[in-house]
Amino acid sequence: MMISGGIGGTSSSSSSSIALTASGGGTSSWAPTTSVSASGKRIQREMSELNMDPPPDCSAGPKGDNLYHWVATIIGPQGTPYEGGIYFLDITFPSDYPFKPPKVVFKTRIYHCNVDTAGNLIIDILNDSWSPALTITKVLLAIRSIFTNPDPSDKPLIPGIARLYLADREKHDELAAEWTRRFAK
Amino acid sequence: MFRSNNIVARIFQRQICTPAPGTSVHCARRFYENLVPSFTIYDVECPDHSFRKFTDDGQYLISFSRNNQDLIVYRPTWLSFSCKEEDCDAHDLPSKARRFESFFTQLYSVSLASCNEQICKDFFLYMDSNQYGIFATTSTVQSQEAPATGGAIPGFPSIEKITFHLLRLEDGVILDEKVFLNDFVNLVHNMGVFLYDDLLAIVSLRYQTVHILQIRDSGNLVDVRAIGAYCHEDDELFLNSNAQCMAFPDKSKLHQLPQNHVQNGLHHSQPNLEEFFLSGIKQRLLSFIFRRIWNEEKDRTLRVQCLKKKFYFHFQDYVDLIIWKVQFLDRHHLLIKFGSVEGVVQGARNADHYPAFFAVYNMETTEIVAFYQNSAEDLYHLFEQYCDHFHSTSRNSLYMNFISSHSNNIHALEQLRSIKNKASSSSQFVKKMLGSLPFSCQSQSPSPYFDQSLFRFDEKLISATDRHRQSTDHPIKFILRRPPYSLKFKIKLGPEAGSADGRTKKFSSFLFHPFLPLALSIQHTFLSSQPSVVNIHFRR
Repeated sequence: MMISGGIGGTSSSSSSSIALTASGGGTSSWAPTTSVSASGKRIQREMSELNMDPPPDCSAGPKGDNLYHWVATIIGPQGTPYEGGIYFLDITFPSDYPFKPPKVVFKTRIYHCNVDTAGNLIIDILNDSWSPALTITKVLLAIRSIFTNPDPSDKPLIPGIARLYLADREKHDELAAEWTRRFAK
Repeated sequence: MFRSNNIVARIFQRQICTPAPGTSVHCARRFYENLVPSFTIYDVECPDHSFRKFTDDGQYLISFSRNNQDLIVYRPTWLSFSCKEEDCDAHDLPSKARRFESFFTQLYSVSLASCNEQICKDFFLYMDSNQYGIFATTSTVQSQEAPATGGAIPGFPSIEKITFHLLRLEDGVILDEKVFLNDFVNLVHNMGVFLYDDLLAIVSLRYQTVHILQIRDSGNLVDVRAIGAYCHEDDELFLNSNAQCMAFPDKSKLHQLPQNHVQNGLHHSQPNLEEFFLSGIKQRLLSFIFRRIWNEEKDRTLRVQCLKKKFYFHFQDYVDLIIWKVQFLDRHHLLIKFGSVEGVVQGARNADHYPAFFAVYNMETTEIVAFYQNSAEDLYHLFEQYCDHFHSTSRNSLYMNFISSHSNNIHALEQLRSIKNKASSSSQFVKKMLGSLPFSCQSQSPSPYFDQSLFRFDEKLISATDRHRQSTDHPIKFILRRPPYSLKFKIKLGPEAGSADGRTKKFSSFLFHPFLPLALSIQHTFLSSQPSVVNIHFRR
């Protein structure tokens, strides 16, 4: 029943049915039911994949010996107002991973229209557009891409920042750089 | 060359010889070999105060009333009396001269603590340049149940009210105060507070904040910055002014809850968002550790492996570290010791068992400059060779430069080496030695009788470090470091060695004047009912 990481494109109906069976088998407890260990195996596989070919400016690893709780670090990409910042993120995998997306929270303050005031990152692929074919490497790349291209169009979490980004890009970048200097060094 | 220990011969020699360049102070200090506090007045009749310290310029003797509410300040004066007999030295001191008042003149007495407060006996800092003293009073009610709001560490002890008083010692006028409410500052032996020039660092253990205050010449305590949740002095202001245009969700209400923990605007609206975000100092620390590992390993795949093992695996441990103790290295740099919460609560005694780290932090650039574990050999080597750089003293106190350390004194170094050679494990030894960092502020006496290039003495019984010691019946001997290596003087606690009263444990403390051959030895039990016994040691 496992879906291998690299191959995507399963139809939505079949993936949801698998998700149902998986969530039926794996309860919320940490008991080593089959689905939990399946998700564990999947995470382990994604970890070795990440170790083999880490994306630029990104790295991640499990916090302590808990495979479901990771920390990721993203180095503010050059040429963006986030340059020079080091951003730490908490990544929590649900027990029915990969059928549900991981939850990503910024632990470093950031001035960004897609990150709310508590640090929650909401982007499409971590929400409605999540697909079990996605991997942690791809999630990291997606997070990195919002540093270079914030998404102000689709119901941004902080409308104020999104508006400023669209109206006065220079001012937005200036503020974002100031936040980087103060909170992300 | 002929060298005599006779003082007259030495004065002649001083007249005809120029000391080697740069050694004139050292040569002058050798006269202390001739001028020693060898005469003792036992159990002197004196007011029943607890005597705390001579200020480092020798101008004042600080004492507190027995009920710990008043500060009494004395001026040390040299004994003078007249003698009608022919051979004055052969006679005993006249009884009038044998009193405390003939050595010390009371300048004033000031009430510092209100009825439900006490002066913290173990805390006193002195600002040389302005002759200002800093004292602390604490409320006597320990409020264990204080709610852990606004970033306080849950379960941490809390004192209802800690007040720091800034006094002009010249006339005892209270110039300013600084109050911390429901907070915890380690006041014992000045551990939680460090004074450097006019900058004061106060470590709030409970709120994990280092408050940097400036003592102005005008006598005001001014907040400069608070390091903890934020790093720059205006970070919070910046965040709040930005928040207005950011349309906070419902959390904006939470944000205003924990206000006014402390007067004068400190701890003002501690961020409730802290539980979401890393504190300012932690962000700096973690990004420093991350960057170091990232830059160490150039190969991409090896780097990820390395980060996984050395960084992510321990990430939560780093996040959970708390600030234990802080000292200034210079006006911009702080040496911060981080450790686990358990280690602090357990007390300093077995602190070695808990992991601890040292960070050098630049307050101006808000950067971590260096980071070491408490078993780091390289930090130990810095400590061994450049110990005096850790003993950062204020710029205008000359004789503070003569406090012996293993970096400036061959005998102290030999002693350190011998301990090192005896140590069973090198890493245990390093941990033990680094355990003394960061140094406590103004905890060592600059008295020349503790100069290890002049005198040898048993450091278990007496030393420059200001501590209570268990009393011994044996006299404490001060022996010349140079030929003829003879015994120069003894500090005895009682007139008869071996007073058979071994029932109650007695403790003694020694207050040495910074430059006069004058010292007080105080013997007390920890039962407050018994008054302490004070001896005056001086050169007759």
